[in-house]
Amino acid sequence: MEPNLVHIPKPKTGLRIRLLRIRWKKIDLFQVLAMIGLTLLALFMLLPIVFIINHAFKPISELFLYPPRFWSNQPTLFNFQQLILKSQTTVIPFSRYLFNSVLTTLVTVAGVIFVSSLAAYAFAKQRFIGRELFFSFTIIALMFAPETVAIPRYLVIANLGIMDTYLVHVLPLLAAPVGVFLMKQFMDQIPNELIEAAKIDGAKEWVVFFRIALPICMPAVATIGILAFQGSWAQTETSVLFTSTESMKTLPYYTMTLTNGLANNVVGQGVAAAAGLIMFAPNLVVFLLFQRRVLNTMAHSGIK
Amino acid sequence: MSKVLFQHIYKQYAGEQRVAVKDFHLEIEDGEFLVLVGPSGCGKSTLLRMLAGLEDISEGNIIIGDRIVNYISSKDRNIAMVFQNYALYPHMTVYENIAFSLRLSKLPKAEIHERVNRAAKILDIESQLHKLPKQMSGGQRQRVALGRAIVREPEVFLLDEPLSNLDAKLRIQMREEIGKLYRRLRTTTVYVTHDQVEAMTMGTRIVAMKDGVIQQVAKPEEIYSRPANLFVAGFIGSPQMNFIEGKVRVRDGYSLFETRKHTLRISEDKSKMLRDNGSIDKPIILGIRSENLLYRNDDLAKPEQQMNVFEAVIEIKELLGADTYLYTNNKEQRIVVRVDPKTRFEEGERIVVGVDMNHALFFDKNSEALIC
Repeated sequence: MEPNLVHIPKPKTGLRIRLLRIRWKKIDLFQVLAMIGLTLLALFMLLPIVFIINHAFKPISELFLYPPRFWSNQPTLFNFQQLILKSQTTVIPFSRYLFNSVLTTLVTVAGVIFVSSLAAYAFAKQRFIGRELFFSFTIIALMFAPETVAIPRYLVIANLGIMDTYLVHVLPLLAAPVGVFLMKQFMDQIPNELIEAAKIDGAKEWVVFFRIALPICMPAVATIGILAFQGSWAQTETSVLFTSTESMKTLPYYTMTLTNGLANNVVGQGVAAAAGLIMFAPNLVVFLLFQRRVLNTMAHSGIK
Repeated sequence: MSKVLFQHIYKQYAGEQRVAVKDFHLEIEDGEFLVLVGPSGCGKSTLLRMLAGLEDISEGNIIIGDRIVNYISSKDRNIAMVFQNYALYPHMTVYENIAFSLRLSKLPKAEIHERVNRAAKILDIESQLHKLPKQMSGGQRQRVALGRAIVREPEVFLLDEPLSNLDAKLRIQMREEIGKLYRRLRTTTVYVTHDQVEAMTMGTRIVAMKDGVIQQVAKPEEIYSRPANLFVAGFIGSPQMNFIEGKVRVRDGYSLFETRKHTLRISEDKSKMLRDNGSIDKPIILGIRSENLLYRNDDLAKPEQQMNVFEAVIEIKELLGADTYLYTNNKEQRIVVRVDPKTRFEEGERIVVGVDMNHALFFDKNSEALIC
């Protein structure tokens, strides 16, 4: 239960207005300033989103306006039309890239959640030799930017013999130290008694994990899901580095080519804008769906 | 329902010098309500956890029924445990919490439903079955935890300080409920507590522990009236038993208990026992409970008891409603006296306290063991 932080005396007359006034009095100048500042910041952060949405619907004449505008005067679906038409003329249809992306992202998200939470459960609730050591490896892994390990990663993939398969879009992303770390922070907070109670109730380790630990950590699972989704959905590295067949590449790679090199023409800009929105939209939807849970994780992870 | 047998149990945690449990040997009868009591760190919870299979046994055997369970995992020991913090699954409703173990043992749905409802009825939580644990009060949560235990119909119930998270009033109420539940089910129960009142009121037998060693195993009446040593005497009973240091001397055929300033005459049978034990002229501690100290005003008793009095000054007065406790000082030490609350006392007042020597206990000062 939340304690009453602010004591509000009950007005004898029971007038609501008076109560409201008392409440407002408690908000000091700093809070007002902070509120205004944060609102402005939020609006500023909103600008790219507004731009991306409007940009996709701009006719060619507006796409190249200088200075650029946030809004579109004559919204049109022309760009989307072009996107579909264009991909019909290429060898690999747009839908193939989309399918590749959706498939590999879904598998990656599920995989990251599964691997991270299992590792975190072991780190948080199991006793084994080298527990601290392995966890510090995970923490150290947090420090490396992906670029720094690109070459060893390439060698691993090449030697595994999975080049040019769907696995290359999934496997490198499964090692998600952030996910393990977040999950462990969360799992640490599950009381041991809960797990012991489940064991006495007849649960095996797997059952404890799936029926007790994981459901309790749903907020963290949602957060990791979002992180994994964002990490997978928008990345082009695996397509660039590990695939050579066009039909194995993903949507962000395709979007990238639209604005690169030969395809960089006037129509390409419009198509790219439309594709950009298609790339962006799922991010927004996923985040809006899970944001409550994410906030919960941030509050629980101890990082704050 | 089963017997439980602890055979010379030792427990030493890895990386620790101290031995948590030392040579614990005890047989718990079928259907007994055994209370393990002792201060924190005395090893009582460790024992319970070993019995539950949550902790390895360093040495010795634990036998439930006729099986040695040392290497049998918790889930196969056919026990149920109630934890201090209830340990309810927060994401499951009360119904699911109670049904969890039955579902895992793959009972048919109809039977699960019937058993959950029966347990809920016994514990009076039928109307709460759809709620989540966080929507319930502490007392109700404890009922759910009990429900989760009884629904399994285990051989042994283990309760680990189940009432310590409840407020005083609820604690008394739940104490009564657990007692009722036990009388109804008559399942072997091991109850761990640091609260001597719980131990006294609930147990059919009490095991008092200190530093991992059994101090005494006895029925509540016995542990109260004949504690085996100074530790048990001081731990059981509230307010604590008064301890007076002194020596036993023989004068004119009477055995007398002498401190620096006071002399008390020892009753015939006790003086014989003291003499047989060879305790004359040796340092002795006399233990007397506050209810065996009598306030005397004008009727300074019969002549032969006149000796067993001393004067004391009231330092603190504690009104408890039914009783009043006077914390007095007899120029040597603090003595707690229970008096009738109807009599008025002032702090700082001088009173005469009579000692009922028939209820006095004598402990050897060196071994701390009870002599008589």
